[in-house]
Amino acid sequence: MNVQEFISSGIVESYVLGLTSEEERREFESMCNQYPEVFAARNAFEIGLENQAMQNAIAPAADVKNKIFNTIFPSRGGVGGGSSSAKVVSIGEAPVKKINWFKYAAAASVILLAGSLYFNFSLSEENKKLSGDYDNTVAELNSIKKDVQVITDKSEIKMASLKGTPVSPQSYTTVYWDSTSHDVYLLINNLPKPPSDKQYQLWAFLDGKPIDIGFISNDYFIKQNSLLVKAKSVQKVQAFAISLEKIGREDTSVPAGEVYVYGGL
Amino acid sequence: MNLKTTYSEQELVALLQERNEKAFGYLYDNYSGAIFGIINSIVTDKDIANDVLQNVFINIWRKIDSYDASKGRLFTWMLNIARNASIDEIRSKGFRQSQKNQSLNDNVDVAGASTEAVIEDVGLKKVLTNLKSEWRVLVDMSYFQGFTHEEISKILDIPLGTVKTRIRSALSQLRTMIQP
Repeated sequence: MNVQEFISSGIVESYVLGLTSEEERREFESMCNQYPEVFAARNAFEIGLENQAMQNAIAPAADVKNKIFNTIFPSRGGVGGGSSSAKVVSIGEAPVKKINWFKYAAAASVILLAGSLYFNFSLSEENKKLSGDYDNTVAELNSIKKDVQVITDKSEIKMASLKGTPVSPQSYTTVYWDSTSHDVYLLINNLPKPPSDKQYQLWAFLDGKPIDIGFISNDYFIKQNSLLVKAKSVQKVQAFAISLEKIGREDTSVPAGEVYVYGGL
Repeated sequence: MNLKTTYSEQELVALLQERNEKAFGYLYDNYSGAIFGIINSIVTDKDIANDVLQNVFINIWRKIDSYDASKGRLFTWMLNIARNASIDEIRSKGFRQSQKNQSLNDNVDVAGASTEAVIEDVGLKKVLTNLKSEWRVLVDMSYFQGFTHEEISKILDIPLGTVKTRIRSALSQLRTMIQP
């Protein structure tokens, strides 16, 4: 590959946008040092990108700057900040007094002992709490990992983005359909919490006909502890939709309520 | 007071590395809008985007010593900090939970999505809309959603090699679209 081909391969942009692997990055940096053309191409793209970003600047909230400055310059006033002035304490003359030191030592040791007991106790409470937090976090992480594996381990997964209908334009969900096992998984990117007498129903469409593939439990919207919702499997499908239905309606084989999201495979 | 109001990039970096507060104020005033624009293209919730911006500038200040001018311009370095922080944010569980009432991906075009833009895209995203749709999806997933090439290959069921070549081709097109 000659230098021109290298430059126009897209590597310059990948590098600048931070999309290269470690190895590609090293290779690019060494090319940059070797060939002024590569450096020039990189610099030109960087300037272009910067101009682009400057033209599309959006003003952040007004208080952000203050929050930043208060965080990094906690002692405002001094340039650089950070160093708190040391307090100068003069060492006075030690009082020369006859004291009953034994009494004081005994009292002090009792206080120390009580303090240490309390300290141990609160440490052990703290430990218990931390270890509980840790277990919960690990459990949560494992359940998320399991969910993610479902869709990343298989290459037969097809994905459908279900976009909000005019009823709820903000809604958005993603369906993953395994074309081999026919399993269906739903990722709820955004759906409004349903009222307590209603619940969402997921539909698959084949040749324009709806197939019921299950309800989304309202618990999901309260606990939010799972990433993916598993629906009923479906052999063949062209599109998916979700409607909001009254709980306990008689015929659940066809949608009756309003459709919130819809999208083709 | 007669203060100097502009710095060359080199001067600015040198002052920042000396922990000069005024230079940092200048950096913020000059670049926070552009950086915020990038954060907004990834994190759509305004409040959260402001929090991300705050952390990004704190990190810029803390990490300024690791900035190496031989590897790219200061802005590029800041941009990458901002992008990484934004991607970390949208991938965090806290973010997903806070999005109960807002769409996480409402301006993200993924596979199978309609070709018309749902809301008006700005900045790099707008440039993206000029790309062929099969390319745009890939760049979008890779740059704005932070998926690795391997993940994209699995999700879209496209061979890894094809994902790589298409992203490269798309990016090389991108350059001609944003010439300085």
